[in-house]
Amino acid sequence: MGTVLLKNICKSFTPGVPVLDDLNLEIKSGELFFLLGPSGCGKSTLMRILSGLTSADSGSISFDGVEVQDLPPEKRQAAMVFQNYALWPHMTVFENVAFGLKIRKLPRKEVQERVMEALEMVHLADCADRKAPQLSGGQQQRVALARALAVDPPLLLLDEPLSNLDARLRDAMREEISSICAKRGFTALYVTHDRQEALSMADRMGVMKDGKIRQIGTPRELYEHPGDRFCAEFLGDINFIDGKVDNGNFSCSFGTFPVAGDFSGTHTAAIRPERIAFAADGEDGFDAELISGSYLGDCSSWICRAGGVDLVVREFAPEERAAGEQVRLKFAPGRLLILE
Amino acid sequence: MKINRIFQYGTMAALTLFLSVFLLLPVFIVIQVGCDWSLIMEVCRSQVYREGLLNSLQIAVVTTLMVALISVPLALLYDRFDFPGRELCSLAMLLPMILPPFVGALGFQQLLGHYGVFNSILAALGFERVDFLSGNGVFWSVCFIEALHLYPIFYLNIVTALGNIDPALNEAGANLGGNKWQRFFRITLPLMRPGLLAGGSIVLVWSFTEMGTPLMFGFTRVAPVQILNGLNELETNPLPYTLVLIMLIVSALLYLVSRLALGGTANATPVKGNTSSTAVKLASWKKFLPGAAFVLVSFCAVLPHLALLGIAFGKNYYNTILPQGFTLAHFDSALSNVLVLPSIGNSLRYSLLAMFIAVVIGVVVALASVRWKLRGSVALDLLSMLPLAVPGVVVAFGFLGMTVKFSWAAALFDPVENPLWLLSIAYAVRRIPYVVRSVGSGLEQTPEELENAARNFGATAWQVLCKITLPLIVANLLVGGLFAFSFSMLEVSDSLILAQKSEFFPITKALFELSQILGSGPSSASAFGVWAMCFLAVTLIAAGILLGKRIGSIFKF
Repeated sequence: MGTVLLKNICKSFTPGVPVLDDLNLEIKSGELFFLLGPSGCGKSTLMRILSGLTSADSGSISFDGVEVQDLPPEKRQAAMVFQNYALWPHMTVFENVAFGLKIRKLPRKEVQERVMEALEMVHLADCADRKAPQLSGGQQQRVALARALAVDPPLLLLDEPLSNLDARLRDAMREEISSICAKRGFTALYVTHDRQEALSMADRMGVMKDGKIRQIGTPRELYEHPGDRFCAEFLGDINFIDGKVDNGNFSCSFGTFPVAGDFSGTHTAAIRPERIAFAADGEDGFDAELISGSYLGDCSSWICRAGGVDLVVREFAPEERAAGEQVRLKFAPGRLLILE
Repeated sequence: MKINRIFQYGTMAALTLFLSVFLLLPVFIVIQVGCDWSLIMEVCRSQVYREGLLNSLQIAVVTTLMVALISVPLALLYDRFDFPGRELCSLAMLLPMILPPFVGALGFQQLLGHYGVFNSILAALGFERVDFLSGNGVFWSVCFIEALHLYPIFYLNIVTALGNIDPALNEAGANLGGNKWQRFFRITLPLMRPGLLAGGSIVLVWSFTEMGTPLMFGFTRVAPVQILNGLNELETNPLPYTLVLIMLIVSALLYLVSRLALGGTANATPVKGNTSSTAVKLASWKKFLPGAAFVLVSFCAVLPHLALLGIAFGKNYYNTILPQGFTLAHFDSALSNVLVLPSIGNSLRYSLLAMFIAVVIGVVVALASVRWKLRGSVALDLLSMLPLAVPGVVVAFGFLGMTVKFSWAAALFDPVENPLWLLSIAYAVRRIPYVVRSVGSGLEQTPEELENAARNFGATAWQVLCKITLPLIVANLLVGGLFAFSFSMLEVSDSLILAQKSEFFPITKALFELSQILGSGPSSASAFGVWAMCFLAVTLIAAGILLGKRIGSIFKF
């Protein structure tokens, strides 16, 4: 399929307030790439620029080495699943999905086959003759997906396509989209602010803030080695600890721990709550006081105070504990990350 | 709560009774008197009447096509592009509303007559004079003038329909490879059908039954004018009733045909969207093109009325390109005519009363259909919209018939004795839809929670209405009222038919009589028309300021 290359993309709607600020990105062929970021970070604008619905102020966009920034949207071949579905209310489900194929002047028989194939993929084959507004939100979302898939696009753009679905349907659709993309080998860009969605589905992902991509990598790379405080926090709960690094050791108010990397001086270290555990008697660890906790069923989220620092600790298969209890905490060496 | 319900049902019953007596009964009488087989056969056999109906039909079709040709491209320009003066251009599209076609016809003759402005230019350049207004020229002139008057209604409906289309629907079309034309024909056009239907059917019925414009052009072979001319012998010859009945049937058929052709309003389901306006900014000199199109159309619409100004203020404006000088003499002569001054007072009286009736009824109908939502609210709402489909001549003739048929009606509303109530109610009934739409849209934009909050703090239903609801929709209320008032001031068909004694003539009838005076007639009529236009302009500008951009909502049916 295709490699997408974005170089030095700039865009602002009001002068002096950049929405996209000298953005560079490469999406590899056949990859499901996620852009994750808070609302207003420019991720939807980037998607509209890729589809040609908005034009960038400067920079170049190429699909498979061919520059496309001057092509109108209808020539881009980048099928998009719109956030609000954008199904045409005057057409049936079948007609909606067939639109792109008819525009491409495919023979009637092939249109019929490919529409039904796409509808079967999203389990909506028996709704083909219904009008779009008669469907439920989840069904409409799937029609929008089928409509984009039917044209077999070199590039698939998904703009928060699951944001309006309930939790169970969302989980089912995540798997559906992942498997369709893998099976058909689509190059796809998926925009969302839901980190679970990104972590569970992405081949690679980028975290965006203020019109810039802060970090790019696989979900595991980004979650376990966030490049900065923002990326660290955006991908999940995390504890920040201030301290000093000296000779590969980080010292803070409740102890000294070995860390990787070539750092020295005052730094902030970070550790995920699930990487801190309660130490058994006789095990190495540091002392803390249990301040409060919330029971979540499969796990408990505790707040423990160690050396005046509040740490969030996640305990799976949680024990029963009480506030005020004295506890010992531990974490594996190398789990403490030093942020630059 | 129970007392409240009883009161609401009581009010609705009273309204239904009012509308039955002053809308359904007149229509029924027209049907009853006109539905005489021998008379229908007589109309069908008579070449003159056949021609009249056919001409009216042709005028309606041609006018509607002209209107569509003018408004659809402009509406698309407004919707798609961001250009300098965009809002001003759209406001200028309302201009014809203050330019009565009835008066414009006078100016148009000045422009294109044998000794008019255009021919004077031709003569000055050494060309032969052309008789634009002979033969088919009159027909085309009538269509043209009516089209220039009616395009705002169509335009506003299309703009509203386009505005309701989520831009993402078009973007999805582009995204899947549809080019500009494919997108227009497959997505935009089908989705704006409700607007086409609403605008098209109003324009079609309106131009089919338009009486003033052909009358001013002396085009007597059209059904509405034939009906007016049959008025004098009404007591011996009920044939006009049959003509009116036929017009009513044809109007209903026209409405049905346009509904069938445009496939109804099946896509009324609102489409949710979060994409803001996607109007494209045009580069360099191209950005002035859309504005130029608007200016051109507005200029055409104003031209006849500019000529009217020329006649009103001009000295010896005959066989010359520009008037020979300026004078206020025509205003003097207009004012000295015995008809003119009383007619201003009469029109004010009729129109103010009509406005009051229309506002009271319109507010209650809007409350019933938007807020109360009782059983029958929808039916009442439909009933109040009916006047849009019922031509003015039908209502007027029905009223005449009522006074002949029922002694109570004759005692209360004899048009010969005093047409005050008859004309006011006739005016009001046909303007109720505007008030209902204006107030209804205001109510829809006002969250019901505001009223519930007041109830929660202990206000009675009446206090809520007076202290919360009405103050919040005061702009819509004023605009609805202003429209009712100004359209009443310029109403033609009811006025010509129902005002029978010269001391009770309203402005439009006085204007018509004035224009018929040989010699000075047209110029004094023009002077009077200019005055009437200025008057209307002031009220509509006030309305525009009050309601801003939402003014279009009144014409959305």
